[in-house]
Amino acid sequence: MHPPAIGVWVAAFLTIFALSFLYKDNPLFRFTESLFAGVSLGYYVGIVLNQTLMPNLIEPMQQDFGKNWDLVVPGVLGLVLYARYLPRAAWIFRYAITIYVGYYIGLDFTRRIHGEVLPQIARAIVPLNHFDAHTIFYSLLFALGVFSVLIYFFFSKEQDAVTRRIARLGIWFLMVSFGAAFGFTVMGRVALLIGRLNFLIHDWIYPTIGIR
Amino acid sequence: MPTLMDRILGLDRRWIFLLVLIAVVLPTLFPIGLPTTTTDSTRRAFDYIESLKPGDVVWLSFDYGPSSAPENDPMAEGLMRQCFVKHVRVIVSALYPLGGLALANNSLARVVAEFPNLKYGEDYVNLGYKDGAAAVMRQLGESIGGAFPTDVNGKPIAEIPMMQGVHDLHQVKLVFTAATGIIGEWWITQVHAQIGTPVIIGPTAVSAPKYFAYLNAGQLVGMLGGMKGAAEYEKLLQVSHPELATLYRSTPHFTGAKGMDAQAVAHALIILFIVVGNFAYIQHRAAARRRS
Repeated sequence: MHPPAIGVWVAAFLTIFALSFLYKDNPLFRFTESLFAGVSLGYYVGIVLNQTLMPNLIEPMQQDFGKNWDLVVPGVLGLVLYARYLPRAAWIFRYAITIYVGYYIGLDFTRRIHGEVLPQIARAIVPLNHFDAHTIFYSLLFALGVFSVLIYFFFSKEQDAVTRRIARLGIWFLMVSFGAAFGFTVMGRVALLIGRLNFLIHDWIYPTIGIR
Repeated sequence: MPTLMDRILGLDRRWIFLLVLIAVVLPTLFPIGLPTTTTDSTRRAFDYIESLKPGDVVWLSFDYGPSSAPENDPMAEGLMRQCFVKHVRVIVSALYPLGGLALANNSLARVVAEFPNLKYGEDYVNLGYKDGAAAVMRQLGESIGGAFPTDVNGKPIAEIPMMQGVHDLHQVKLVFTAATGIIGEWWITQVHAQIGTPVIIGPTAVSAPKYFAYLNAGQLVGMLGGMKGAAEYEKLLQVSHPELATLYRSTPHFTGAKGMDAQAVAHALIILFIVVGNFAYIQHRAAARRRS
């Protein structure tokens, strides 16, 4: 069995340094935190350059500029973003930001309406053509939940005795959903710990002491 | 003189961290083999993939980073195994910037090594990472080549055999996104809603609750929620495909099922903490009322 590679040792120590924060803040944790932030940024720059800018912008223009000349526009808009670091030309970057924001508002508007609002509203309008007890119970519970939570979030009118009680019911529905979300969050966070400990045990400690 | 309840309420949280660490380490060292039950959302995902025909194309998007790899890696790898066993072709991409591509490369290498007959470019292809996930998805509905002119190695996709006849997402039978954060949501609201391609999501457990709304509204075919979802999926794979059962029993790599013992023990401990903490709090409050 081969001993763990140097990269495994580095990853193991960085994992321990990161987890050491649970005991208390210390220089090793801060070193790991800074290293992670720096490496992440460097990785991001590299991957965007190699996987997006090169194949989608630079290479097409190099290979056939006549066919791909329109790529100059997004290329220039991207470069213009950096004008904000030049005090006398900083105003130019606003044009690029304006186009960027406008594009994403347009994209997101349809996405939200078509992909989220309308299907969810359609799901909330439950047809009552299946009159078995299960369907009726869950449809009514669902409708009650939607209605009471909407009342809770309706701030345009002061609540009276009736709407206050409905809003109170809405809080109970919200609490149940927060409880479910908390349970899933615990599972997610424990999963991360499991992943790291599996790495430390199976990829670092066991090979180092010659087990398996 | 502080009472037991006061001591519990004032307990240094590091003792709790230590107990959780022990609760995770012990089952990792000495697996218990607790049973895994399957849920409807996972079965729906599994059955849909099972219904695909040889030659169909599935899009697998690695939309997560190393921090959630213990949850998402087993899902993505399970999907590739099911597809390859059924001779379904797989297009791999990554839309998560920080490590999505590295994880895609690693998982693909691991799974492809288990299927020696697979040919790159015919059975699977890796298109690599692309920045601007929402805009990329918009483009994929019109032209895959518009968003991914080359594969991860720089080879034009027009020269890749399996991409012949796969012009855009309309020719893709399924999108599977192993996702953290918001990218998974975009596949539903951008791709399923506007292009119509069926979507299965494998979110991290933290994100899973919000996807139940999409699942119940029929916007998702199925969902594998966190590590538990991955373990359920692996169980279904092993029941339906004996060759995969052998593989899962012998693999040295991390799987969802391997993590579930530690999950169960840690959850039991946390439930105990919640019960004891609430009991101590109620006792403390009652004592304060009596004193006042």
